[in-house]
Amino acid sequence: MIKFTLSKAQAAYRDYQHQLALEEMRPISLLCDSQEEIPETFFWNMQRRLSAEALAPLHAQLAPEPRQSNLLSMLANEEMAWGDAALSTALPGPGLAAPPLLSQGTPEQQKRFFARYQDGQLHWGALALTEPGIGSDVAGMETTAVLDGDEWVLNGRKQYITNGARADLVIVFATIDKQLGRDGIRPFVVPKETPGMLVGRIEKKMGLRASQTAELLFEQCRIPRDHLLAGRETSKKAGFKAAMGTLDATRPMVGSLALGIARAAYELTCEWVKDELPLGYPAHKRRELLSELEELRQELEMARLLVWRAAWMADQRLPNSKEASMCKAYAGNLVMKVTASAVRITAPGQESERRRFLQKWFRDAKVFDIFEGTAQIQRLVIARRLFPEVDIP
Amino acid sequence: MLDFSPTAEQEEIRRLAHSIAMEQLRPQARIAEQQASLSPTLAHIVAQTGLTTPYSEDYGGSGALEAITYVLIAEEFGYGDAGLALHILGAMLAPLTVALAGTPAQQAHYLPPFCREPAAHTGSLAFAEPIGGYTLADLSASAQRSGDAFLLQGTKRSVLHGQQADLRVVLVRIAGEPSQFAAFLLPEPCPGLLITPDEQKLGLLAAPSASYTFTDVLLPASALLGTPGSSAAVLRAYCLALLLRAGVQCGLSRAALEYAGEYAKERRAFGRPIVSYQGIAFPIAEIAMKLDGVRLLVWQAASAWDNDASSDYLVRECEAAHTQALKLAKSATIDAVQILGGAGFLQDHPVEMWMRAAASME
Repeated sequence: MIKFTLSKAQAAYRDYQHQLALEEMRPISLLCDSQEEIPETFFWNMQRRLSAEALAPLHAQLAPEPRQSNLLSMLANEEMAWGDAALSTALPGPGLAAPPLLSQGTPEQQKRFFARYQDGQLHWGALALTEPGIGSDVAGMETTAVLDGDEWVLNGRKQYITNGARADLVIVFATIDKQLGRDGIRPFVVPKETPGMLVGRIEKKMGLRASQTAELLFEQCRIPRDHLLAGRETSKKAGFKAAMGTLDATRPMVGSLALGIARAAYELTCEWVKDELPLGYPAHKRRELLSELEELRQELEMARLLVWRAAWMADQRLPNSKEASMCKAYAGNLVMKVTASAVRITAPGQESERRRFLQKWFRDAKVFDIFEGTAQIQRLVIARRLFPEVDIP
Repeated sequence: MLDFSPTAEQEEIRRLAHSIAMEQLRPQARIAEQQASLSPTLAHIVAQTGLTTPYSEDYGGSGALEAITYVLIAEEFGYGDAGLALHILGAMLAPLTVALAGTPAQQAHYLPPFCREPAAHTGSLAFAEPIGGYTLADLSASAQRSGDAFLLQGTKRSVLHGQQADLRVVLVRIAGEPSQFAAFLLPEPCPGLLITPDEQKLGLLAAPSASYTFTDVLLPASALLGTPGSSAAVLRAYCLALLLRAGVQCGLSRAALEYAGEYAKERRAFGRPIVSYQGIAFPIAEIAMKLDGVRLLVWQAASAWDNDASSDYLVRECEAAHTQALKLAKSATIDAVQILGGAGFLQDHPVEMWMRAAASME
């Protein structure tokens, strides 16, 4: 039966995440952005407040509902990004390393690699897919993996790696045979201390400045043979599917993060219009602003429903590649629209903290239409799903 | 707990509505447009489904209405043909308002004929006004208390079946009482009421409509639906009308999306189906994405209606659903004509009719 209300326990879970965003993120958000650095106390506080013990009462309440893990992660993401999207990408934990480990790792590999994250210290994970020459089209991957005795030897250069310099485990995609194109691509687990993996540039960015975006260089980087993640599927396409499967899982996450920023910008603009609109602002122009804001609110609702649906489908174990792309494309576009409107609407105002936040979010927003597949790639995925019998190159 | 899937019963009703849409509405759309009406046979077939009598079984109806189910029906009908969909659904709005806001006596008097012979009766609900669109804030027609009677002033536009209806209901503000709305039954004859049929319409020709002008129309207290202060019930009727329109608009967008998609698969240029070019594939993907978002917004509003949400929330959500569904229907139908190219401009294909229909829903 069609129903769009969260259960009490789900709403409580969301509210808990919102408190974290409000208390731990917003107070340091502008400072972290300008210094491009995150204080260690933030990591410890978040680790404590998101630990299994801290969440136990909420999980106990949630327990009777089966299959809601994807939805819960969407609820958390929206609130985290409402707090600060850059900080939310830097939360301790396996992060983007988790999806390929879960989908392609053997139970033994999962146990071994996830064990690193359970000693109570601060640990991160990362995913290295993009290269200087390749983004969405992974077929031309240049990073190579060659088996030499009992070790894989990696060579190449990876870019745009979130938490790349602090990650304890990096999932690196590399080709075992360039002739095979995307069928030759495999995921490998490279631990932080491995000789031959070097940190290159830490990128300077327009937005998400507190988020660490690193370059990683692999020079004769040797890892044990059993660091190849191919346990679940032995078919030739396993590696490529891991890369793509990761994207199916992370696109709704990106959508929900975009939604969180967009909602934050909408709310703060509404507050600005209420409190900071310059004196003498004509009444008819104010009405125009209010109706523009109402339309943005409606689009936010649609974005949220699209994100929730993609997550709900994943929880129901329904294939959701098209829906994942839809929610990511819609929210990625909307966050730019909302933040751009916010900057325009508040332009006549005095310098204020609200305006600094809005301008930061405007800078943060653009990348949500780019990473995890650009707006164009999302439309390509949707079109291919709509017309499976047609070859859309 | 979230759930994005209709119940088995709703799916069954949707399939029924879909078969009516594809076997009846779509093939008859052009003729209906030319004749500015629907054929008596079609009226009979639709009546036989029982979908047009969602009134209490006490009066011979098929049981009270669920907004979610009717939004699904409206989408299927709109997918068949928006003009015919509005003809059929528009005729239900007056008896639905009576069912939602009327006193038991009014319901017992007005509903049985609609239940007995749905094909023989049409109702009309007047709510949109010349200034502004389908938003409550724009409503300015008013009823002024005058002793035991009410004095109506104002104008209404795009009243479906405004001239032909044998049960006419009008939605107005109560003068001097902010945010109080009321619905009145219009007697026949109704001195002071000028009915002007809409002629030379741009689209939706299959759904005849008219404008009303009220000049000092004096109505007895018995013409008031329900009791004074039943504003919330009247607003539920208004919201339901918006939801049905939004459902039709979703159907219209879906029709345009699928028709243009099928055409783009067949049509070849430079050696390939045109849908394999991103310049065609991307706008189609865009419509599909927005339609999913809009439909969920409409479902959310319908679900609020079914759960008796507060008037303020309900009005806001239903207006949002209507605004977004209309916006998409307009752009999707224009895009569909563009994708068909020259063929889209011809009456050989329905997309030009759909483009006019969407624009006429403003």
